[in-house]
Amino acid sequence: MSTELVLDGLSLTYPGASQPAVADLDIGVTPGSMVALLGPSGCGKTTTMKMIAGLLTPTSGDVRFDGESMVGVRPERRPVAMVFQKSLLFPHMTVRENVGFGLKVRKVPNSEIRMRVEEFLELVRLPGMADRRVGELSGGQEQRISLARALIVSPKILLLDEPLSALDANLRIEMRDLIRSVQEELDLTAVFVTHDQEEAVVLADRIALILDGRLQQYAEAADFYQRPASVRVARFFGTDNLVEGRFVRGCFESALGTFEVEGVAPDGPSVLAVRQEAVGLGPGPNQIDGTVDRTLYVGTHLRVWLRAGGTQLQCTVDPTAGVRTGEPLTVHIPPQHCWALPVEETS
Amino acid sequence: MSTSPSLAEDQSVREPESRTPARARRWNGALREPVRIALLLSPALLVVVVLYGGGVALAFSQSLGYLPFIGQREVSLGAYQRLIGDQAFQASLWLTLRLAITSTVVSAVLAIAGGMLIRGTRRGQRLSTFLFQFNLPMPHLVGAAAMLLLLSQSGLVSRLAFSLGIVDSASAFPALNNDRLGVAIMAEYIWKEVPFIGVVVLAALRGEVQPYEEAAQVLGATAWQRFRYVILPLLMPGVLSTCIIVFAFTFGSFEVPYLLGQPFPAVLPVLAYRQYTDVDLASRAEAMAISFVVALLVSVMVLVYLRLSSKQRRER
Repeated sequence: MSTELVLDGLSLTYPGASQPAVADLDIGVTPGSMVALLGPSGCGKTTTMKMIAGLLTPTSGDVRFDGESMVGVRPERRPVAMVFQKSLLFPHMTVRENVGFGLKVRKVPNSEIRMRVEEFLELVRLPGMADRRVGELSGGQEQRISLARALIVSPKILLLDEPLSALDANLRIEMRDLIRSVQEELDLTAVFVTHDQEEAVVLADRIALILDGRLQQYAEAADFYQRPASVRVARFFGTDNLVEGRFVRGCFESALGTFEVEGVAPDGPSVLAVRQEAVGLGPGPNQIDGTVDRTLYVGTHLRVWLRAGGTQLQCTVDPTAGVRTGEPLTVHIPPQHCWALPVEETS
Repeated sequence: MSTSPSLAEDQSVREPESRTPARARRWNGALREPVRIALLLSPALLVVVVLYGGGVALAFSQSLGYLPFIGQREVSLGAYQRLIGDQAFQASLWLTLRLAITSTVVSAVLAIAGGMLIRGTRRGQRLSTFLFQFNLPMPHLVGAAAMLLLLSQSGLVSRLAFSLGIVDSASAFPALNNDRLGVAIMAEYIWKEVPFIGVVVLAALRGEVQPYEEAAQVLGATAWQRFRYVILPLLMPGVLSTCIIVFAFTFGSFEVPYLLGQPFPAVLPVLAYRQYTDVDLASRAEAMAISFVVALLVSVMVLVYLRLSSKQRRER
């Protein structure tokens, strides 16, 4: 039976710091799901993770496992296991001793430890490695062993702190798939820290975007692309077209023209967020007539900078569409891809 | 197939090089860099080779009985043979070993315990680190003088014990200086070497050991299990290397046992000094043989240290 994890108003200010590292974090993780804590370096992701593990004590707020508060419970008594950015395999132990460590400290009989170590090495697809020394393993193998070491203690919640960041591209994909399949197979509640957007989108059921220690948006991956909560979120997820204008009676008015939009903002200054891949070629709703400023061939598509109404709009088109610099171009934006956002000071 | 112009050009460029004599090519290739490095290092190497190497060679020749200043030019292993059968030498060797081993082990245990305690303190860590290591730059002579003032029968501790009624008179206080067990010598070594080993312990505890400890903790290890299975094994390579340095130093140390030790048996360096300053100049062969034994044992320790260090590097 998997466990529900709730972070309730979780905050932490390091001693001597003027700003909190994490402030008022509210996240609920449904049993058996995987949540990614996403954000740039220093945004408070690992701090949050360490508070869940009990390695850091929150200044305020609560961490609850199935409704039971974990604040004040020592890390060794929490039903969690953690895989770190570095594998942190104990260098003086063999693979078998590393994987079986959690069972040894729980005083499980040696015969059972041997059996379960083999079982979990098979789970991470490294059978027959038990007698190897840590120094004999590759980076990818180390992380898999580290995953086996965490899983063998049957944690209720699995914490993964950027376990892929030290791996090269191919190994990352391999390890990513392994983590997801193991998590699903064992029906584990998992929290995954990453600064890699793609990793978060591919791995997680829901994403919590944290910037400057504050939760910006907690939603499914598609929402970050289609319905970002703010201009900062839209920017973080690569929305290049952020057009400033005004929201008036359900329509967005700007130098580019008047648009029917999906998002509803209060009347007044507003920002229209449009992803470049949502812009369609030719006439249609929310039509824009402009001139091609610049193009950039990027293999799968052509990136186009269109100048219209004194502002610039980016879109992607088929490289065979015959779009050329300096020529006029008509594009349209379907209303369901127009998302109006409130203006932010930083925008 | 015709040769392309670019290849022809290339050959014409290479031709003069192929005419270069083999000796010159070797000089330009494999030899030039090592010779350059050797030349750059030569001022420092000269001092080491002439002063240290010369001293060792002179000591070794004298230990073999080559003492031309008293007209003795025959070379033999007589001094070494005499040492093997000499009970005073054996007593000195065991005393030196015992003092060095005890001081090193106790210092290591205290350094690890101190490091763990300091690491565990939430407040005042700077102050406790200062108190732990303030004597690091102090010379051993200062420590020896402090032990004299503290531990002698007329010292501070005996007078304190007398004023507290623990002993009937200051002279009834047990002799801790110039005593059979070498308590003051060990106390001085421990006082001085605990912070030295502590530097390595604290650096490791605050650096590379910490994440491993956290990993063990999240895996369910209690404080004792973390110490036994993770912290101690991770500390050991560094501590062991440092202990070898400490052992080598205490084994060959002269001034502290000279000031705080008993007349007999004396530690090997003191025994060597006494033989060297003996009115009978022929005793210098024994003095040099003792010194050579000390140097040999310390060299073995250094070799062990180097092997351990390279093993550590390989394992990581």
